[in-house]
Amino acid sequence: MATTTATITINSTDLLTDELSLSTTSTLYDGPDFSTGLSRMKVTATAAGSSATTIYTADDFAAIAYLYVKNTDATSTDYIYIYDDTTSGDPVVLKLAGGDWAYMPLIADKTLRAYATTNPTTIEFMVIGTDQ
Amino acid sequence: MATTTATLTLASADLTSDSLSLTASTTLYKAGTTIGLDQTTGLSKKVYAAAQTNATLISAGDYTDNTAGRLFIRNVGSSTTDYFTITIASGNSVIGRLYGGDWLFIPYEGEEDIDISSSGTSMELEFMVIHEA
Repeated sequence: MATTTATITINSTDLLTDELSLSTTSTLYDGPDFSTGLSRMKVTATAAGSSATTIYTADDFAAIAYLYVKNTDATSTDYIYIYDDTTSGDPVVLKLAGGDWAYMPLIADKTLRAYATTNPTTIEFMVIGTDQ
Repeated sequence: MATTTATLTLASADLTSDSLSLTASTTLYKAGTTIGLDQTTGLSKKVYAAAQTNATLISAGDYTDNTAGRLFIRNVGSSTTDYFTITIASGNSVIGRLYGGDWLFIPYEGEEDIDISSSGTSMELEFMVIHEA
């Protein structure tokens, strides 16, 4: 069992009249001890389909797994879309503008894939979970 | 124009033989611009006395469609067995489960409700939307 922590800080001195300084740290549930490693790839697909980049394959890990994903592009309108390839209709789960990142838990039973508005757009991602 | 930054740090000394120390930071801008997001719900807290099934947490009707908001949700509890399930309402597409102390930070376009289900009673969460008009 490994110990991995995730910390978020959200800061602003001028969003509100009261300074925003939120910080919280969580230890990943159940001490997941496997990781895909931090991957960096070019997303070349511009629509959902077989050429979309696979971020995570359903059931590679047991629930709960954790996803970190970042659109490394410097242009904010170069979006990356992460969609659920297991569910009918390929619902989009995340729309990441250039420079944006997201962190979220996964039930880990859905395949996630990515396409972008611009070919290519570089993505970084990592899934941390427990092998099954 | 407000300047708001969000920073993630993932750290582990024993997940792999190479210690993990990942930091990612972003400034929160309006969609397609470098103008800072300037509206927020503030950090809100909700207590659910009874178990919930697909209760609306974030109502898309309160936000402009196709924008670049950000959503933070945290399970305030410490239970390792009770959890919130976070769902995009359309199609009931599950994002994931938040056990005690877990949090998520994702972009929010303002087009879909975000629902929660809770596995137990007397569960608490915090959430904040930072968004644009």
